[in-house]
Amino acid sequence: MPILHSQLMGQGQTPDGKPVQIHPAIVLQQRGPIVQVSVALQRDLAAGLVQQGLAIPQPMVGLALIDTGASNTCIDDEAARSMNLPVIDVGSMTSATHAQTPSNIYPVQIEIIGFKISFQSPRTMGAALREQGLLILLGRDLLQRCTLFYNGPTGQITLSI
Amino acid sequence: MLDVERTYFNENREELLRMFPGKFVVVKEQRMLGAFESIQEALGAGAREFGMTPFLVRRTDQVPENVSIPALTLGLLRANTSLTTDGSGTNS
Repeated sequence: MPILHSQLMGQGQTPDGKPVQIHPAIVLQQRGPIVQVSVALQRDLAAGLVQQGLAIPQPMVGLALIDTGASNTCIDDEAARSMNLPVIDVGSMTSATHAQTPSNIYPVQIEIIGFKISFQSPRTMGAALREQGLLILLGRDLLQRCTLFYNGPTGQITLSI
Repeated sequence: MLDVERTYFNENREELLRMFPGKFVVVKEQRMLGAFESIQEALGAGAREFGMTPFLVRRTDQVPENVSIPALTLGLLRANTSLTTDGSGTNS
């Protein structure tokens, strides 16, 4: 059973400019449960392109936030466009300022680096995540296959399938 | 994006559902490529036919998805109460 065990480390500065380690519990509270991921085109779509002799987009590496509040997994829309990912549908997302905002849906594969599993995510919604420093929001559609243990006092997360 | 394909699907939804219940259909412009057992099969077939260009893949019995991502839509992914401001907050 693949298990990812992660503890976030952080470094800050004292008022006189000396580097100081930040306790992992504080880093986890501030940054949330983040993992490094590699995003690529969904496996079956990529295989179809290869059969046609077409090039497939290069994977992109970035940060993913595990968001138990999100019903769907999202990808940064700018990143999806720059990877030239094909749009396979348009969904709608309720936002704070608009009742319904149309969002492109992309077929992707998400590999958590250090974890020996790739998630097939054929209906991943585009969203503006870049400003948050994120490439992916891992939502409950993928988390429903996982066990997640959030250890706040030690600043550790454990994810298993 | 995919306006023509989504319109085609919506206008033919009942017939598609009757002919291909629970299947995934691939639509490009006003042409249906086929109906498939899984979304993986549909994506592979769409890629072989249309390459990297957009094409619609949708389950015939799909209902509008209720996507809820509160932290993102409320702009709270990086909310931090330690970053204080001199301005006034919202009255409650």
